[in-house]
Amino acid sequence: MIWKIVLFLLIAFVSIAGITFPIVAKPEHWYEFPLIMGLGENAKIIFFHVPTAWLTVIAFLMSTVYSIKYLRNKDLVDDIKAHSAAQLGMVFCILATITGAVWAKFAWGSYWSWDPRQTSIFALLLIYGALFALRSAVEVEEKRAALSAVYSIIAFVTVPFFIFIMPRIMRGLHPGSADDTNAGTVVNFKMNGNMQLIFFLSLIGFTILYYWMWYVGYKSMLYKEKLNKQYH
Amino acid sequence: MLEEFLSKNAIYIVMIIVLIVWAGVFGFLFALNNRIKHIEKEIEGDKGK
Repeated sequence: MIWKIVLFLLIAFVSIAGITFPIVAKPEHWYEFPLIMGLGENAKIIFFHVPTAWLTVIAFLMSTVYSIKYLRNKDLVDDIKAHSAAQLGMVFCILATITGAVWAKFAWGSYWSWDPRQTSIFALLLIYGALFALRSAVEVEEKRAALSAVYSIIAFVTVPFFIFIMPRIMRGLHPGSADDTNAGTVVNFKMNGNMQLIFFLSLIGFTILYYWMWYVGYKSMLYKEKLNKQYH
Repeated sequence: MLEEFLSKNAIYIVMIIVLIVWAGVFGFLFALNNRIKHIEKEIEGDKGK
């Protein structure tokens, strides 16, 4: 129960601070954010868009861990856990894509410009989209679980490359690209201590929110499966 | 019109983005709700037999 209250307070604080704290050229107070050239007020998206991308990675990683667990123990509960995580990973991957595209419209001039970051997340959507197609194509439970576990592990191999490496070594529009002289790497992002603190609080808040969503999602899937077995 | 307004008042873009994230969370809740309804139906239906 306590962590749910902490979650509420975290998300409430991050939402208020992330939207209302002013951006000034030379921050003097703790509640002021530094101005990043070329981004301006748009920079505040970092508190809401980056966590969705972060959760994509966390969720897909969790899905892989439970997939490995499934292959070791052949326990169908692990398969359901992995599936629930992959589902949420997909939700947040889509959210990261849409929020990024809306932001890009105003920061870069068009919703979609095949920037390395956009290309890589598009590839990731396709790769994980295929996982769900695979799952729905196999009827036998054990076979479905084994196949999707193997696929999920192979799919995750591409995630670090698509999210962390490719968009950083290629030239592009996204902050943190190889030729980005304004913002620098995403983690530094020319943030001051205060902005960094709120950014990390946001990551923590969204991670707890993700865990909660994953937990209820997985439980509901588990009971649905149990009922199906009981009655059919 | 809207585009011009938004590019001048970038904070509303941030608001839109927050709303999109919330819409995603709501979509997930909606799917979850449907799944639970399904479970409920199955349990209730069994009682009726």
